Amino acid sequence: MSDDAIPLPPAEVVDPELVAALDALLFASGEPVTVPALAEALGRGNDEVRSGLHALHHRRKEGGIVLERIGGGWQLRTAPRFARPIHALLGTRPQKLSRPALEVLALVAYHQPIAKTEVDRIRGVDSGGVVKSLLDRGLVKTAGRSDDPGRPLLYRTTSAFLELFSLPDLAALPTLAEREGLVRSAPRPGHPDAPRPLPTVLELPLAPRIELVDADDDDG
Amino acid sequence: MDLAVSSAAPFTVHTDVFDGPLDLLLHLVKREGISLARLQISRIADEYLVYLDRMRSLDLSIAADWLVMAATLIHLKALELLPRPPSILAEDDADPREQLLEQLREYERIKDAAQRLDGLVLVGRDVFTAVGEKPPEGNRPFVSPVDAFGLLDVLYDVLARGSAPEPTFRLAESGPNIGVCCHRVIALLGGIGGAFDLGWMLRTLGSRAERVITFIAVLEMCRLGWLDVLQEQHLGPVSVQQLVETDQIDVDRIMGTEGKPGEQLDLPLGEAAEPRPSSTEAFGGRDAT
Repeated sequence: MSDDAIPLPPAEVVDPELVAALDALLFASGEPVTVPALAEALGRGNDEVRSGLHALHHRRKEGGIVLERIGGGWQLRTAPRFARPIHALLGTRPQKLSRPALEVLALVAYHQPIAKTEVDRIRGVDSGGVVKSLLDRGLVKTAGRSDDPGRPLLYRTTSAFLELFSLPDLAALPTLAEREGLVRSAPRPGHPDAPRPLPTVLELPLAPRIELVDADDDDG
Repeated sequence: MDLAVSSAAPFTVHTDVFDGPLDLLLHLVKREGISLARLQISRIADEYLVYLDRMRSLDLSIAADWLVMAATLIHLKALELLPRPPSILAEDDADPREQLLEQLREYERIKDAAQRLDGLVLVGRDVFTAVGEKPPEGNRPFVSPVDAFGLLDVLYDVLARGSAPEPTFRLAESGPNIGVCCHRVIALLGGIGGAFDLGWMLRTLGSRAERVITFIAVLEMCRLGWLDVLQEQHLGPVSVQQLVETDQIDVDRIMGTEGKPGEQLDLPLGEAAEPRPSSTEAFGGRDAT
């Protein structure tokens, strides 16, 4: 999403007609479109399309409709600064997720694949209804079964999740740092202060590692 | 969100404010403003029980989760108040207090993660896409094709409730004719994109025979790709929608007046009732994915 990630290609390598075509295709699609899909529709090479997209991103970035990398593809969206007048025009209210929904989504996003039993354990309440509604909205999906007793279903986030939260991929999830919080473990000799790492996270190349700042260092 | 317990507002605690016992516990710890290491479980346990007392009078269904936590807290309070022999401490690998603290830390991390997710740019809240993200309760297009059972429900419903008196005077020979029924449906649709509620339409018809034949006419025209039947939600009302221009609809084909053997009205009900994937694609272009 940041500009450093999307280099501005030199003007001489970019075909203006290709950039215009990409603009049209992305507008017509509305959804995120991958580079190969665009390349195939236009009969152009992937690299060509990619630099065209980069050029379009830079051309559009000051405007009201911007081009972003979303969920493995590219999508045209309105610039966030116009959210209020757009809601006023459409007569809509900002769509928000409930706190439980956000918590369950965060658990699934950062710990995937994760079983509902684990979600329940960490949240301390039954999350069945929330998981169901997230399934219905297509934000999470089942992903096989765990080897744990009872072989519970495992859940993952979907590309719709990435799209909803404007993420290019799972690696772009915000990094979690333990806040300078009140909830802090007691420094116990012989015990590592940092809570144990989440084993499922390490098996996933895409999944971000939850970073833990060692808060106890500050105590001196 | 700060729900300080005050005697003036004895029922400020709602179950949707605290999502669970951990949520409340975390809130209490933060209000204390001390680190977990120095946390006195006994103090928190008392406050927790005060909250629980008030909540219990509001919503009994949540009691189980919350009572388990209450029991844990009372257990920990007891451990805290009683001197612990070193022997027990040494062998006790899983310190229950540390277990609870770990659970709280884990939960706090998730709350933090949830907050960060909420801080991202959200479609429908902060940004909009080309097709316009609107709240689901808006006038959403029909999303799902109907299955055979949805259609049968409409027919059974209409026939079962069809207690309207049969017309008294009827021309003996000319019963309802499928061609007439087709034309009536097409006229009601009024052109490409036109739609009506199938159950409603059938109920406006006078006789049982007319209803059945109109129903079959709709199925047949769906089979030929002229119409589609759609349902906005599961078990919701079934609508009929016209997919093609009216001049492309050739009712004579259904009538079989040309005498072509393949075009005769044979009603392979299973096939006709099957929603046609091609026709749903033609409608609206953007299916729910």
